[in-house]
Amino acid sequence: METLLDLWAAYGSTIAFAMVNALFALSTYAVLSTGVLSFTTVVFAAVGGFLAAQSVAHLGIGLWPAFALAGIGGAVAGSVVAAAFLKLDSHWMALASLALVLITRVTVLNTPLLTGGVNGLVVPMSVPMGDLVILLALVAAVFWRLHRSWYGLAARAVREDAAVASTMGIPPRGIQFTAFVISGAVGGIGGAALAFTLQFISPETYFIGMAFTMIASTVLGGSFHWFGPIVGAAVFTALPVTMQSVLPAIEDVAKGVVLLVIMIFLPRGLVDPRAVGLRRAARRRVSAEEGTDV
Amino acid sequence: MILFLEQALNGWALGSLYALFGIGFGLVFSTLGILNAAHGTYASWAAIVGYYVVERAGLPFPVAVGVGVAAGGLLALAVDQIAFQPLRSRKAGMLGALITSIAFWIILDSLAGFATEQQSLAFPAASFPSGMIDIGPMKVGQLQLIIIAVLIVCTIGIHLLIQKTRLGTAMRAVGWNEVAAALGGVNARMVILLTAFLAGATSGLAGVLAGAATSNVSFTLGEGLMLKGFAAVVVGGYDDVRGTAIAGILLGIIEVFVAQYVSTALRDGFTYSLLLIFLVARPRGLFGSAGFVRA
Amino acid sequence: MSDAALSRPLLELDTVVKTFGGVTAVGGLSTRVTRGSVHGLIGPNGAGKTTLINLITGLFHPTSGAIRFEGRSLEAMQPQAIATLGITRTYQNVRLFSGMTVLEQVMTGCWLTREVGVFASFLGLPSARAAWVRTREHALSLLARVSMDHRADELAETLSYGEQRRIEIARALGSRPKLLLLDEPTAGMNHQEATAIGRLVHELRDAGLTILMVEHNMGLVTEFCDDCTVVNFGRLLATGDPATCLADPDVQEAYFGRKTDAERIQALR
Ligand SMILES: Nc1ncnc2c1ncn2[C@@H]1O[C@H](COP(=O)(O)OP(=O)(O)OP(=O)(O)O)[C@@H](O)[C@H]1O
Ligand SMILES: [Mg+2]
Repeated sequence: METLLDLWAAYGSTIAFAMVNALFALSTYAVLSTGVLSFTTVVFAAVGGFLAAQSVAHLGIGLWPAFALAGIGGAVAGSVVAAAFLKLDSHWMALASLALVLITRVTVLNTPLLTGGVNGLVVPMSVPMGDLVILLALVAAVFWRLHRSWYGLAARAVREDAAVASTMGIPPRGIQFTAFVISGAVGGIGGAALAFTLQFISPETYFIGMAFTMIASTVLGGSFHWFGPIVGAAVFTALPVTMQSVLPAIEDVAKGVVLLVIMIFLPRGLVDPRAVGLRRAARRRVSAEEGTDV
Repeated sequence: MILFLEQALNGWALGSLYALFGIGFGLVFSTLGILNAAHGTYASWAAIVGYYVVERAGLPFPVAVGVGVAAGGLLALAVDQIAFQPLRSRKAGMLGALITSIAFWIILDSLAGFATEQQSLAFPAASFPSGMIDIGPMKVGQLQLIIIAVLIVCTIGIHLLIQKTRLGTAMRAVGWNEVAAALGGVNARMVILLTAFLAGATSGLAGVLAGAATSNVSFTLGEGLMLKGFAAVVVGGYDDVRGTAIAGILLGIIEVFVAQYVSTALRDGFTYSLLLIFLVARPRGLFGSAGFVRA
Repeated sequence: MSDAALSRPLLELDTVVKTFGGVTAVGGLSTRVTRGSVHGLIGPNGAGKTTLINLITGLFHPTSGAIRFEGRSLEAMQPQAIATLGITRTYQNVRLFSGMTVLEQVMTGCWLTREVGVFASFLGLPSARAAWVRTREHALSLLARVSMDHRADELAETLSYGEQRRIEIARALGSRPKLLLLDEPTAGMNHQEATAIGRLVHELRDAGLTILMVEHNMGLVTEFCDDCTVVNFGRLLATGDPATCLADPDVQEAYFGRKTDAERIQALR
């Protein structure tokens, strides 16, 4: 029991961050799973984070209403981004979304009334670990349902070949628009969760570093199933902590090398449902060759 | 009026650095289809290597520039072969390469931190052309003029290379479709290597010059160039080096004027507002062509 | 439906032109596909057959000319809207979705006939679940038609080329279309497999479907097509019943070359 508590003291915050990062990764996954590479989760997180922080401070609302508000704010931002950017082709979409991240930071810096500007904001509320677990479970449940519904099937079709999907009556832009709204809501909620975990947010909180972290988490974990981003966020968040205890001097370098090695050997990520099917087919072929009843 | 012109030239020089860096970044994006997060570190490392050539080996600045350019190119080659080449055969697309480039960004950035002992170094003022030249009533830095000339030469050279030579045709072919390029007799592997080297070398050149011009040799150098170079690429249209050059220069001039006549705090705000306007109103950039429709 | 509507052609192409930059892929082609027929679309490589199918399904928009389906103009419509009208297709170079099982591929093709809102399906309401099961049954029955039901849970990309082609046909049938466009459905198949496809096409026609198929095998065309359209360099060479079309001197020339040319080549050797 004693050691368990020690462990908690040492790694509790890491676990909390892993869960927050899982929300961001899921938000990125939401659009990636329809074939759109976008960094705008950072934008949605900023909207959700500042919205939640301000409404807790000035409207005195509670934790869960703040999450709800952040989710709505993010969803609205998501639909605006989708309306503006979905007409671009995939390469431009990636560039434009990255540019929007830069613009967001400048906007945050220059609207001190809303965001505290350079000085940032102190957030007068924290999120208990239990609530964070429930939040992540709820969001994961949504993704589980999406995956098993008609939306999930259509999203996979659009991602693999949007033109073919459209000739079967699936509207690719419509599916991707929905994906952006979902991404916005989840990203906004994640932004609020981050604000309540850090209890201080500033323009630097929601910036390039975060954009790259969440995309790396998503792809590392695997972007072909909703469980991938959660695994990826856990691994990517735990990596520096582990490296710190093994190779304290060069923890960042080690983190980069691990990411590199995993991606080169498992480019589809740690969780890959397709690999299971391929292995099964390979086994079947082997047994068919060995079998006498062919 | 004189101040105005002097500032315009300063902005032009600053913007030329952004553009020079952006050309390399855009080249990799349009030809190899890679959004390379590690690109900024090529510039940092070129500047660091150049600094040590001057400071430790005591060699003259032009040698430092040459070594820095080579370092940028070779680093880009190494990153391409280690991080991108294994993914090409697996059709991992833009995504896989983005992640491995993020990995290299993390690695090279923190190694750059070690190489400069987490400090910002500066080329000794006597080591590079830091004097002023009188052009009529104006006083202009020698290095500024050199930077402006370098961008013009590089832009024209690379534009001609891409549009007028067989290698350039091959580069454009690879940009569309590596498989088709390979079938059409283009040695895709060679084109990839040359493109990577060229992109790394131009960004390395931008790195050494920026290191001298801004008295900042550290890992933050590459990050700064990357953000502004990226903006130049988006505003200019990534598939045309002329667009990147013009957009970079414009961004530099706007930055200097906003800082001079409006406020330093709003400097980045202007740059990125321009970026936003372009994204919404002219998303393919100044020279951007209409997209290639796929069915 | 009135007799007038029935006697009108299901699909009409009226001087359709499609250019890509300087290349004219389709140059003013007119033809019509009768309701309830199997219509062969034939022509040498690069004749513009695939482009024509892309134009009908909305993946490309014609440079000029009109395409009418049941009297409705398709030229400006999006692919998904055209699919909703009842036109689906297969692809010359099989385009199944990577990572999906055989059943999932066909389920995706049932998108338009899923009978349930996306949101209800997300919530997992009992009605939505029942509709899902019905669609699944439908998909399985389509797979049985192309003799692929025993492979329903396998990853489609692990199967043979011929099997993938059949899955694509099942997927295209998912939304119960009125017009099915098959782009070289028998490419790479042996005679037996190709004949099986021909018989399937007849069964589908007898069940009320209209089929437009690109086919290079003249034996199959004469055996299974009711009508045909021959194109070359994007232009119409002949249209009518297969035997007459194939006997047409222009068609003979396009396919087998000018006799004098052949002689000249002989002489050059
Ligand atoms: N997307 C495109 N861009 C440019 N040219 C195209 C495009 N699609 C087709 N073409 C050109 O249009 C012409 C007709 O091509 P299409 O694929 O329709 O021929 P096809 O009759 O289907 O031939 P095949 O029997 O080889 O399949 C060809 O010259 C081709 O190069
Ligand atoms: Mg074809």
